[in-house]
Amino acid sequence: MLRSLTAGIVLAFTGSRANIARTILSCAGVVVGVGALILVVTGSDFGQRYAVAYSEIQGGRAATLQVEINGDVTDRDALEEDLYRAGGEQVSLYQMPSGAVRVRSGGADVPDVEIRGVDPELGDIRRITMTRGRWFTEADRESLAPVLVVNESLAASMGDLTRVQIGTDRWVDARVVGVIADSGMDFTWQSAYLLRSPATEEILFAPPDSEEAPQEGFGFYGGSNAYVVRLDPDHPGVEDYGEGFSESLRTVAWRWGVEDPQNAIWSYRADSAEMLEEPLLYMTWGLLGIAFITLGTGLLGVLNVGLVTVRERRRELATYRALGASRFTLFVAVVMEAVVVSVVAGIVALAGCWALAALGSAVVTELDLVPPGVDLRVPPSGVLLGLGSAAAVGLLAGIIPAARALRASVVAGLRE
Amino acid sequence: MSVDTPLPEAAPPAAQTSELLRVEGVTRHFMVSGTRIDVLYDCTFQVARGEVVAIVGQSGSGKSTLLNLLGLLDRPSGGSYVFDGVDTTRLGEGRRSRLRGEGIGFVFQQFHLLERRSALANVGVPMVLGGVPVFRRRARARELLESVGLGHRLDSQPHQLSGGEQQRVALARALSREPALILADEPTGALDAASSRMIMDQLLAQAELRGAAVVVVTHDPKVAERADRVVELVEGRTR
Repeated sequence: MLRSLTAGIVLAFTGSRANIARTILSCAGVVVGVGALILVVTGSDFGQRYAVAYSEIQGGRAATLQVEINGDVTDRDALEEDLYRAGGEQVSLYQMPSGAVRVRSGGADVPDVEIRGVDPELGDIRRITMTRGRWFTEADRESLAPVLVVNESLAASMGDLTRVQIGTDRWVDARVVGVIADSGMDFTWQSAYLLRSPATEEILFAPPDSEEAPQEGFGFYGGSNAYVVRLDPDHPGVEDYGEGFSESLRTVAWRWGVEDPQNAIWSYRADSAEMLEEPLLYMTWGLLGIAFITLGTGLLGVLNVGLVTVRERRRELATYRALGASRFTLFVAVVMEAVVVSVVAGIVALAGCWALAALGSAVVTELDLVPPGVDLRVPPSGVLLGLGSAAAVGLLAGIIPAARALRASVVAGLRE
Repeated sequence: MSVDTPLPEAAPPAAQTSELLRVEGVTRHFMVSGTRIDVLYDCTFQVARGEVVAIVGQSGSGKSTLLNLLGLLDRPSGGSYVFDGVDTTRLGEGRRSRLRGEGIGFVFQQFHLLERRSALANVGVPMVLGGVPVFRRRARARELLESVGLGHRLDSQPHQLSGGEQQRVALARALSREPALILADEPTGALDAASSRMIMDQLLAQAELRGAAVVVVTHDPKVAERADRVVELVEGRTR
């Protein structure tokens, strides 16, 4: 049995090599079908990684809540203690300064800068990609000067990062310890993270000057007391999109002096990857369906060529039988020829997709259309699905011609 | 038969005798559109190891049908065919294929070489089927092609070879698994006189060298006269 199997495979390989034209002819449909499959899997994988990266940069890693507490907080330490008690594993301030903060570098004002007060924990909660320097550490809280991490757009506007000053009513020398990559979504928006520390307490939490309008919220995160909280993924607050977490906080709001907690405390899921998964999944299944139909037409092509060639090769197949090939060997040889053809087509399709992905990746990276670390590449699942489907198509398309080859008369074949 | 008549002695196992094959009362008929056509009626003969037997007869006398039966490519309608001590009439398809591959080499009138494959690859095919490892296979194929004078045409494909050369490749292929029997169906039928003589010289020399029996079907009296024995088929019966 093993000998017959091995012999069948060897004959199939030599047969495919000897009949290059037939092999190429059979390949075309499978190349298109397998290529479509690989591209769909590649696109889906890219979409998922893009969605996760987008979510982790903009909202936080999985199970991150945005918590907003409107109104005056009388005991911030108690509030933050309760954020942990309610189930938070990591907590970071995510607060816009109460007053309008200006930034300048080398004596020149840099307009339109979005500033948020944060804790070092934000570096774990969100995906932060440093291009220069480093993220905040606990030691930075001891700094007498405010400590900043700026994005690349702001760094480019400032130029000299060693002569930075910030302030509301007076200028204070600030220290820039790192530059983060633009997210790919913020385009040229200039932003900076300001580390919460004794040196920035006044900037972040001082009551706004009555003559100076408070900085308007930048969209979604404009609460007066804002935090990002990362929960255990199994925490019920993840499933109910923060409702339970809010409820827990409301019950203890009296500890930190917030009145009307029902209307003052809100939390909601900040990470959005999970929500994007479902439509992405439906789209992927739809495209996979189309790709499989394309592959089906490729299968019919290989089957057709297989049937024609078996008829043309009756003498050759009869010669194999005369030389001692068993029916099983011949069956394996004919089926394996179809498998070889399909797998070769699969490899060609894979190479084409790989080249397309490399080209696409170069373009989107060059145009800065994707978050850092998200490249366009054929994933291992695409390779496996592509080559596996190609082999399966070969197997299916080879069985009928092989069965026909077995039915043919050896004596009649030798007479041809 | 009287009770005093002694029983015939049991035939000794074939492997211990010089008998390679025995055909007894073999018949073969075909059904064509509901009509029975008898091709072989009562064929009985033996071939010893190393013996050269020519089967002669007019066209349509059943020579090729008999050769197909001897080569285990076809099954008789009646009678028995014992090859190398094995009654082949009751064997399954798998055993028949194995016996054919290991014990019988074919030389066809039209050569039946595989197109687009080199002489070396063609000679190697029976060894592929026999599971011979690739390095031994190549070495053996090379040695066989050299022995039939084609050491310089190892990589040539069939269309690049003359008829005589193609038949020599076919002979090398037939010898590749050292069969006990070589069946040659009109081996010189497609060749000129000089090539025919050369092929027959090589066929008989190689068979003798390897101790193989040869059964050759032929119309050619010059070929038949070189056999040790001639079996004549007349209207489906051996004489």
